[in-house]
Amino acid sequence: MNKEAPLSIAERDFILNALREGVRLDGRQPDELRPLNVSFGDEYGHVKVQLGKTSLIVRISSEVTKPRDDRPFDGPFTIAMELTSMGSPAWSDGRQGDLEQYVTHVLDRVIRHSNALDTESLCILKGVSCWSIRADVHVIDYDGNLIDAACIAIMTGLQHFRRPDAVVKDGQVVVYGLDEREPVPLNITHKPLSITFQTFDEGKLVILDANRKEEQASEGDVVIGINNAGDVCFLSKFSGAPVDAIVFVSKSSVALEKVKEINGIIDKALQSDLAKRTEKGLAEESKAENDR
Amino acid sequence: MTTPLILLPSDNVPSDHLPSNTSAPLRLGPGLRLLSEQQSSTPSPGHVINASRAGLLSTDPKRNAVSILSFPNHRYIPTTNDLVIAQVHHSSAEYFHCMVTPQTPHALLAQLAFEGATKKTRPVLKQGDLVYARVLSIGVSAGAEVELTCVNPATGKAEQGGLGPLTGGMVFDVSTGLAARLTRASSSKAEYEDGVAGLVVLDELGTKLEGIGGFEIAVGRNGKVWVDCSNAGDSAIRATVAIGRCLHAVDESNLSPAEQRKLVSRTLREMEV
Amino acid sequence: MVGPATASLSPLTRSDGSSSYKCPATGFNILGSVNAPVELPARRDALKPEEATVEVLVKPGTYPAGVGERYVEGILKGMLGKLVLGREKGYPRRGVVITLAVVGSEDVGRGDSYLTMLPALLHASHLALLSAAVPLSMTFTATVLAVTSSGDIIRDPSVKDATAATSLHVLAISSKGHLLLNESQGAFDFDTWERVHQRALTICRGVQPSGSDGNIAMVEDMEGRPLEGFIRETVEDKVYHDYAWKIDAA
Repeated sequence: MNKEAPLSIAERDFILNALREGVRLDGRQPDELRPLNVSFGDEYGHVKVQLGKTSLIVRISSEVTKPRDDRPFDGPFTIAMELTSMGSPAWSDGRQGDLEQYVTHVLDRVIRHSNALDTESLCILKGVSCWSIRADVHVIDYDGNLIDAACIAIMTGLQHFRRPDAVVKDGQVVVYGLDEREPVPLNITHKPLSITFQTFDEGKLVILDANRKEEQASEGDVVIGINNAGDVCFLSKFSGAPVDAIVFVSKSSVALEKVKEINGIIDKALQSDLAKRTEKGLAEESKAENDR
Repeated sequence: MTTPLILLPSDNVPSDHLPSNTSAPLRLGPGLRLLSEQQSSTPSPGHVINASRAGLLSTDPKRNAVSILSFPNHRYIPTTNDLVIAQVHHSSAEYFHCMVTPQTPHALLAQLAFEGATKKTRPVLKQGDLVYARVLSIGVSAGAEVELTCVNPATGKAEQGGLGPLTGGMVFDVSTGLAARLTRASSSKAEYEDGVAGLVVLDELGTKLEGIGGFEIAVGRNGKVWVDCSNAGDSAIRATVAIGRCLHAVDESNLSPAEQRKLVSRTLREMEV
Repeated sequence: MVGPATASLSPLTRSDGSSSYKCPATGFNILGSVNAPVELPARRDALKPEEATVEVLVKPGTYPAGVGERYVEGILKGMLGKLVLGREKGYPRRGVVITLAVVGSEDVGRGDSYLTMLPALLHASHLALLSAAVPLSMTFTATVLAVTSSGDIIRDPSVKDATAATSLHVLAISSKGHLLLNESQGAFDFDTWERVHQRALTICRGVQPSGSDGNIAMVEDMEGRPLEGFIRETVEDKVYHDYAWKIDAA
């Protein structure tokens, strides 16, 4: 039963009729995001993103492995998302549903295939060893728009993460502990994010960042993956009612505006966390000095 | 009033916290069970009332009842006589199969369990329709089906409170804790300054929206609130959304009666009702 | 000691009950959720007809779940299954689904002992069960103790300490003083286990049964606050918060 309970006819009709008057259930504008909050855990690459009542935690981790034979210069990068009943009672543990497959596919396309993470920089010694990067997505509260929330969390995590330093000495790979050498940030080439639109009324009404009930009532969705420079790296219209081509054009510029807004929030959160860490680091250093 | 008593599973209810009325039998509500105590230290009856959930002990001296109020977000468990808002999933020859809470088996609502329903006049409900119903029985054996009804089985009439199909309007999901408070607040007509169960939000909305035609509301103990403002004409949708937002805000944060009044004014202003 | 653990009830909105539990000494940060009573569709034939079935899923933070997680799920399921009153109204034939996510931790590598994390997992599931108002027969607390080669007992050992220890013990003790769970690993003798048991009683309940006369002595100094009080206070804080409208009016 990997399915949310269906909406009642009353809810479906009301949501549509309200949208026709330009009203959303939480009083938002059609192009307005829910409140976005980005926070960090103790570890590098531990990010919590709350988008309205949807919230998730992303953990980035690294490991030294052997590169694939056909790609000796590349380090592998995987995005792992498993939906458990923590996020919604409708998801049963250990069984993959359509939503999980769909979201994983989009994340793969927007972040991995657009080369947001420079995987060649993960190479330590050609064909022998490289860093493997893994992003684990834990959905802890689901209220719609999983794709955008997960995208924000993974991109923030990649920018926040620091891997241990490693060097090649006499053909041997030496990995330094986090306390031995300053850990190294990942090489991010650009910052793409996805913006998901839901369409209603035969494509005439389009809203972004839909919550769960709005998603259930919608006729189709359009996902646009775009970075700050306006390069569209992903565009999809998988299923549902047809949408006019002009919607893609007009919504791409809305998406660009939103991505800039979100990236701004991410940058701010990263900077304040970095400042906090530096302060804490300095405090500990001076404490160590005093102890000596 | 005594100080609040908070119990954890396996805590015994001290006898001085029980209603002292001895003429009527004591009613044990959810979260409490009667255990026989084998220790010799307790006085003669040899029984103790023991908690099986964590929460606040609540006593009702009028009904001679005692129960534990647990955390408000827990799942609804059907209890005989509760009013619920059920959603029709499919129908069979005799019954409508209805969803009371998601991810649980369907409850049964007999097709003739409506006021004045005969084989010819029974309502035709399709998938996704809503009904306001009373829990008739929860079955005796383990895992038995829950049965709903829209009439009083004794009289064959719909009771006060408008049981039956709900048409139009909108349903908002709230916690089961708030649903229980709303039920109490809307069933008692007493004019308390601070409302019943600390709630004034509905009264306040009622006063403020009276001018545009008022609204109809049905509260289901399963955490669903149905609201209809169809008398309000052009502002029907905005008024309904405003009511929903007020309910969610009250559910999410502890608002005092004064804050609830402020919330109502602010929300109605924002929604331009 | 790095300070007391922190916990909260119902931090999540979608699940029927939830908890977060963070133990600063070991760094484990666990989120727990409970959905109950729900239908477990695919395994209807495997359900006990008269009571509820407890399911547990442990999800590691940075790697896919494997044998270690399945093992610890088995321990949790066995113990929590005995605690849940699965015959109460609404529960027979239904599932109590517990999901635990390890959101922050010192890395328990694949192959390392899971026992160090077990008390945090137990406390997170316990609090989530309370939050979901699942009927329980009793409350409990748990602790992990490592015995070093010199015979010292370390409370809440780090992963490094645990690897170096000669034996590891996880004990869960009910609010009535019963020993609910005893998972041990490594070599030890009866006397060592007896000492571990006494220490666990002190940590969990703050009491030491002294001698045979049944008198109970309170010990509060060296172990800090007993864990039992910690669980109770976490629940009380949340009740005061959720029922402010009722308590303040009284």
